[in-house]
Amino acid sequence: MPSTDEELVARSMGGDLDSFNQLVLRWERPIYALAYRVIGREEDARDVTQETFLRAFRALKGFKGQAKFSSWLYRITLNLCRDWIRREKRTPVAQAPEGVDIIELAGEGTPTDTIEALVARHELGRAVGKAMSMLPEEQRTAIILKEYHGLTFQEIADLLDCPLSTVKTRLYQGLTVLRKQLRDAGVEGHFGK
Amino acid sequence: MCDRQEQLIGFVYGELDPSESHAFEQHLFACAECRVELEALRTTRAQIAAWTPPEPHLDFQIVRGPVPARPAASRFRVSPAWGLAAAAALVMALGAAIANLEIHVGSDGLVVRTGWNRTAAVETAANGGAQLVDWKQQSQQLDQRLRAIEQALGGNHAGSVQNASASDMTDEQVLQRVREMLAQSETKQQRILAARLGDITREYDAQRRLDLMAIDQGMTRLQNTSGAEVRQYRDFMQRMVRAAAYQQTK
Repeated sequence: MPSTDEELVARSMGGDLDSFNQLVLRWERPIYALAYRVIGREEDARDVTQETFLRAFRALKGFKGQAKFSSWLYRITLNLCRDWIRREKRTPVAQAPEGVDIIELAGEGTPTDTIEALVARHELGRAVGKAMSMLPEEQRTAIILKEYHGLTFQEIADLLDCPLSTVKTRLYQGLTVLRKQLRDAGVEGHFGK
Repeated sequence: MCDRQEQLIGFVYGELDPSESHAFEQHLFACAECRVELEALRTTRAQIAAWTPPEPHLDFQIVRGPVPARPAASRFRVSPAWGLAAAAALVMALGAAIANLEIHVGSDGLVVRTGWNRTAAVETAANGGAQLVDWKQQSQQLDQRLRAIEQALGGNHAGSVQNASASDMTDEQVLQRVREMLAQSETKQQRILAARLGDITREYDAQRRLDLMAIDQGMTRLQNTSGAEVRQYRDFMQRMVRAAAYQQTK
């Protein structure tokens, strides 16, 4: 049975490097996904991911366990993303992956997906990425944490140090803006308002 | 628009408690606007689910690198201030010693003598007492040591090099000796250079012969190949001519 985060953290605090690397292996992709969606750049997201785990390793002794280990990692990642945005002084860009071809798309879809479906999904993804980059940072972060990482409202509020009602407001406003952006980009939904 | 955005979002994400959820469902039956808004939010959520990050190359691992070696802790930690004070004291001591040295070159050669030729001197000890020091005896001992050092330096060199401080070589003789040494060194260097040049020349010639042989063999093979092809072509043409002649006679 795989060890829980708490067990791995406890062993890591005792100096077990392998346990910490198991945590890295478990959380590197979600952390990368978060960083990429917040800042929109592959290489920078990779750097943020690496830095997140380095900082977590160095600060492990200060982790008291009040929050989940994943939440702690998310907080480090978001802080690094915020620093990146301020340092770069620019809004994130929805960067299209270089050299994407049909073969790669086929790898993302199911075996029964047609080429047209694969391309349509890829185009939709690009449109969403672009629309997300237009959102204010607070709304984008709230949506990313809710939609792609499954955090509860309360967890997001704790992570972002804001009231629960603020989280809900940001989600509602963000989704509303996204709906408009996608409609303007020609992405039709069931209700084209 | 109903001012129920927080409830709407809670309902969309399934975070209303059962009683709140039931109450909002009842509201939806009566409010078309909220029904439309609910469907729009669900559609948007379905659309943004298509946004996936590119596949990254991660596989990070924390590794422990070699710990840089720390310099061995010095038993004696000398602060810069103390270091400067010690250096100053040493310089002062040397200066005092130098000031007391007496150096002259006379008929008996180079003489080095400390200036402490007083028969006695009085020092005040740290404890406030006084004691007499036999400076003359120390001076004589120092002279003896210097003479022994001079003799040792004069005897360590080979016969071809004489002690420059010896008084039986004139400047001209020294210069002549230096010229002879330079000539010997130059001759030796020339012999070494000639030997090296000879080695290089022989190696070059040997490699040149090998290269020429390889070229010759290659040309031979080429000629043989070409000759075989020419013969084949000639045979083919002869066959064609015979076939053509045969056709004509028919």
